[in-house]
Amino acid sequence: MNLQIAMLLGQDGITNGAIYALLALSIILVFTVTRILLIPLGEFVTFGALTMYAFQSGQDSSIVWLLMIMMALDAGLDLKQLVTNGMEARKAQWIGLKLAYAVIMVILVETLPLQEIHMAAQVLLTLMILVPLGPIMYRIFFQPIASAPPLVLLIVSIAVHVAMVGVGLLMFGPEGGRTAPFSAATFQVGNVMLKSQTLWVILVSLFLIVSLFLAFERTLYGKALRATAVNRMGARLMGISPDFAGKATFALAAFIGVASGILIAPITTLYYDSGFIISLKGFVGAIIGGLISYPLAAIGAVAVGLIEAFSMFWASNYKEIIVFTLIIPFLLWRSINSSHVEDEE
Amino acid sequence: MLLKKTLPALILGSALTATATQAEVKVGVVTSSTGPIALVGIPQKNTVPLLPTTAGGETISYISLDDSSDPSATVKAFKKLIEDEKVDAIIGPSGSPNAMGVIQFAAESGTPMLAPVGTAAVVLPMTEDKKWVFKTTQNDELIAKALVGHMVDSGVKTLGMIGTADPYGENWSLVMAKLCAEAGIKLTAVERFQRQDTSITGQSLKVMMSSPDAVLIAAPGSSSVMPETTLKEQGYAGQIYQTHGAALDPFLKLGGQAVEGTILAASLMLVLDEVPDSPAKEIASKYVADYTAMHGETPATFGGNVYDAGLLLQNAIPTALESGKPGTPEFRSALRDALENTSEMAGTQGVYNMTPEDHSGFDERGRELIQVENNSWTLLK
Amino acid sequence: MKSRHLVILFVVLVGLAPAVLPTFQVTLLNYIGLYALVVLGLVLLTGVGGMTSFGQAAFVGLGAYTTAYLTATDQLPAWLAWTSGSAWLSLLVGLVLTAVVALTLGALTLRLSGHYLPLGTIAWGISLYYLFGTSHTLGGHSGISGLPPIELFGMPLDKGEEMFYLIWVILLLAMWITQNLLNSREGRAIRALKGGQLMAESMGVNTFRSKIVIFLISALFAALSGWLYAHNQRFINPTPFGLSMGIDYLFMALIGGVANVWGALLGAGILTMAKEWLQDLLPLIFGDKGNYEHIVFGLLIVLIMHKTPGGLWPMLVKLVPARLRQKKKLLPEAGKTEAPKLPQRNLPERGELILEAKDVTRQFGGLVANKEMNLQVHAGEILALIGPNGAGKSTMFNQLSAVDTPTSGEVLFRGASLKGKSSRDVANLGMSRTFQHVKLLPTMTVLENVAIGAHLRGSKGVISSALHLERLEETSLLQEAERQLKRVGLGDYLYEEAGSLALGQQRILEIARALCADPCLLLLDEPAAGLRHKEKQALAELLSKLRSEGMAILLVEHDMDFVMGLVDRIVVMEFGEKIAEGLPEEIQTNPAVLEAYLGGAD
Repeated sequence: MNLQIAMLLGQDGITNGAIYALLALSIILVFTVTRILLIPLGEFVTFGALTMYAFQSGQDSSIVWLLMIMMALDAGLDLKQLVTNGMEARKAQWIGLKLAYAVIMVILVETLPLQEIHMAAQVLLTLMILVPLGPIMYRIFFQPIASAPPLVLLIVSIAVHVAMVGVGLLMFGPEGGRTAPFSAATFQVGNVMLKSQTLWVILVSLFLIVSLFLAFERTLYGKALRATAVNRMGARLMGISPDFAGKATFALAAFIGVASGILIAPITTLYYDSGFIISLKGFVGAIIGGLISYPLAAIGAVAVGLIEAFSMFWASNYKEIIVFTLIIPFLLWRSINSSHVEDEE
Repeated sequence: MLLKKTLPALILGSALTATATQAEVKVGVVTSSTGPIALVGIPQKNTVPLLPTTAGGETISYISLDDSSDPSATVKAFKKLIEDEKVDAIIGPSGSPNAMGVIQFAAESGTPMLAPVGTAAVVLPMTEDKKWVFKTTQNDELIAKALVGHMVDSGVKTLGMIGTADPYGENWSLVMAKLCAEAGIKLTAVERFQRQDTSITGQSLKVMMSSPDAVLIAAPGSSSVMPETTLKEQGYAGQIYQTHGAALDPFLKLGGQAVEGTILAASLMLVLDEVPDSPAKEIASKYVADYTAMHGETPATFGGNVYDAGLLLQNAIPTALESGKPGTPEFRSALRDALENTSEMAGTQGVYNMTPEDHSGFDERGRELIQVENNSWTLLK
Repeated sequence: MKSRHLVILFVVLVGLAPAVLPTFQVTLLNYIGLYALVVLGLVLLTGVGGMTSFGQAAFVGLGAYTTAYLTATDQLPAWLAWTSGSAWLSLLVGLVLTAVVALTLGALTLRLSGHYLPLGTIAWGISLYYLFGTSHTLGGHSGISGLPPIELFGMPLDKGEEMFYLIWVILLLAMWITQNLLNSREGRAIRALKGGQLMAESMGVNTFRSKIVIFLISALFAALSGWLYAHNQRFINPTPFGLSMGIDYLFMALIGGVANVWGALLGAGILTMAKEWLQDLLPLIFGDKGNYEHIVFGLLIVLIMHKTPGGLWPMLVKLVPARLRQKKKLLPEAGKTEAPKLPQRNLPERGELILEAKDVTRQFGGLVANKEMNLQVHAGEILALIGPNGAGKSTMFNQLSAVDTPTSGEVLFRGASLKGKSSRDVANLGMSRTFQHVKLLPTMTVLENVAIGAHLRGSKGVISSALHLERLEETSLLQEAERQLKRVGLGDYLYEEAGSLALGQQRILEIARALCADPCLLLLDEPAAGLRHKEKQALAELLSKLRSEGMAILLVEHDMDFVMGLVDRIVVMEFGEKIAEGLPEEIQTNPAVLEAYLGGAD
């Protein structure tokens, strides 16, 4: 092992670690607000990457129909609520707007020459199709059981993940996808070649991490949102309903997931079922942060990336074993520090 | 306590969905069209509608099941086909471990099984049980011999290898260890990766540090791309070899410029325009055309393996019909004998000559050396 | 008893199944049995014990790989040669190995709390799975083939119908054992894990031991299932032991009903059949192109969790007419069996010093919650600790009951310092307590709740519980609980669910539970809160009676009327300090106390 190799591996570890950190933060965010461990977060990553790939390779972009179906379901639920609670013009209008949005997205995807439009437009379109799936997912699957025991929430979360992997296979097929880099430039640091895409990943992640941190640790609104799970009154005072808080965090988590997917799609091959293992590593980071602390989780996630990169070099056969066995001491440390005999439920 | 009432009801409900037996040849197909090896199983499942529907005046019907890449599910599917559907033969499963787990059940019930899997272990060494198994893919060793032959010819003395941590990569590293030792090529590094890994930097660096003359990548489907692009990015200049696992169009699409010059050995399906006319070429061309017309994309070779299984059956059924009616043990046994006597039958993958000892039946006509040039497959001469 | 007849009928039906069902259905039933065995462990671990595990599949793998290695390897190392390829000996080795691994993993991860535990099980589950795949001796990812069938009395079980009997006999035995275990002294300790750990510890239950016990049992069930799986399949590779199977097992447990032994069977059955049906049904709806099974499967689970979060079993039970759902009588008919009375502690002499706090100070950071507190409780005396809200009474209570340790000073119980003692230790020494916020297990019967108090007075362990060899001791324990319940006036509610009692009754239940431990000191945290006048009178009578028997009682209380008429001495606290001590009438006229309660007269 020499410096050059260490640098290459370090670069690799930090790039992956940055993504894990982003996911770890979304996981903590969703958990603190809704008590849900968001297992399907990984599917947003793969959906983001594969949607971009579908655009660029001229494949069938049927994913937009998923949005249409989900939006229709969501509207159906809203409508049912309207009928039982009495009509309200503003709410009816809102349902119409949501449906119109989905229809517009379908029209855009079906008519635009997706392969030729500028990459920024592809990114925007991907985000616009996929991010609304987050709040809709909360609305349909989690909102009705928001006060269920943690185990039930966890099982539903996993079941949604299973369904989404199935959707992924259906929409994107079994083969992997890899997109064009944002820019093809490379540059030399010492005797190591750095790709500009890795810089993109690190910079955007850093930007998102810092903004998340500032938004949720430094603003009153963010704090109130975070506190919804434990302090409903405080949240209400800020005009936040638990339902809204759930949807908002899911939207944010979906955004971060999809953005992560778009960011790493040019440097790796992602498959319809890659999401789980990626989000699992985000979970490791979140655990190191005790499911509460943003900075610790971010550091932990980057550490996971680095450990992964180096164990890949030293013992590629045992990589996963090393990464996942290393969590246990962290878990122990966390668990010993956080409480002694505790009564759940 | 309702369990006692519901359970049998549930079970009977499931039994009723089984269709009544008709006088036709029934063939079961088990593929892994979901789960980790879906990229192998989906083209296979997609091939089922293209399989021959008549043979020797009898219609052939197909019942297609998915095993989610899970060997326990494969057993369930096989038992369902054998015991409930009373099929005369089974094509599948997609995965090597899945196949290893069902051989005894095929043998026990006397049902011929045509396995489109890579590992030679399903037919070698020949045992009483494996008599019922026929393998419609080239043995990894057959492909590997072509590659090693090319390595020796071009003066490769040292070889690095990156393979998937799955049965595919595992079998290839076994085969290569043996062939390289015979050919006097030194294996400098053998690295493993998971299909879903987002980075292969470490493995690739490790291989580069051992500075081999050439590198072989053994991975199924599009997972074969990333090791190669990573090696290229890190400035590896030696020759890169791929296995027939890479022989599908997404490889070119995902790899782009980085996979230029790659050499692989695979069936002639990739280079139909360049090979001289032969019965195999004719069949392969028809298969590729039909598949593309139906599914809007060219088939991976995995699909061709299932197509060939269909052809083998079509070829054997008329002989078997002389010994018994479909649905009887006599027919299945005769079908097995007929399959074992297959000679000079052309398929998409090459020409089959089965013998009691060799249930794979390929010779060198089962593979071509192919190189990537200008982002397309060309026959290496 | 009706439910017993149903069980017998079920067993007979199972026995007849291979004779009447087509072979494929028998094959499916074999898998259902194998899965149910694993899920049964999860019911114990997750449903009863409240610990979620994704790692059960890895234990299945451990059992399967051990037997595959031992029975299908040509040349075993010399030290293993004694197993000589026998499936039964490999089972033994597999179970021992699993026990060792489970104990190690359990010791490491069962201390994890909340969501850390499930994520911890994912971690070692994945690690073990990859370990199977990387090991060459275990056949790597390609697996091990050619396993011999299990031989029973020299007859190889190589047919599905033959395996069927072995699998289902083992499963039914496992269900019987589990059911037995849950209805025992050890079982009550296990059932207290979910939501009652603090309470159980203060009744002398070693909750960590209980956790290890069920973790071990569930691992052994899984390994057993793995052993059967390996010899049924006669080929293994790592796939069935990965995380996705671990998730499937949890799905089965939750779908069936995670809190019930029969839920395990139901869940395993429903999920296995559902997968078959979906494969038959969905192509008819969506056509052959594409695979919709996983999507529909995932959505189906979401739907079930929405409609019945407790699983399908409780829903089925509700369909059964009420008369069939009669409550189980745990106690034998009166006069039928008279189990020996439990031995009793020798109560100390009246007037002997039982509990003494010496200069107890407790600081939390800069906050001094208790400052140099002194108090004494004697046998045959009731002492009340009172004070306005926030005076530090609860902190003091925690110091006295060894839940918390003083920053300085010490607490002496019968002359011995409580320093370093756990609440479990002090329970053993004869101190028993109730809680300010009632802590009981709402779905358990009143009788069983109270019997937890007598935990330390029984000694029979897990194995005799599982085989129900401890019935005599169990009857003694339950009769003691019944006696205490009658003593406090809850004799009519023995078989009610504890959660259905009124709050006042629940407080009384806690006292009965504390009495069941046969203590010499009772610590009561606001026993009269929420009681009606009549109930208070009865409680006062009871406490007086206990005092006359020589019991030492300390109570923290708000209700002045209750305190003044009952207790012998009072200690008053304010701002963490003792401001007065004396007889009730002295306290009533003490100016410092009046000021503390009524505010200063400016």
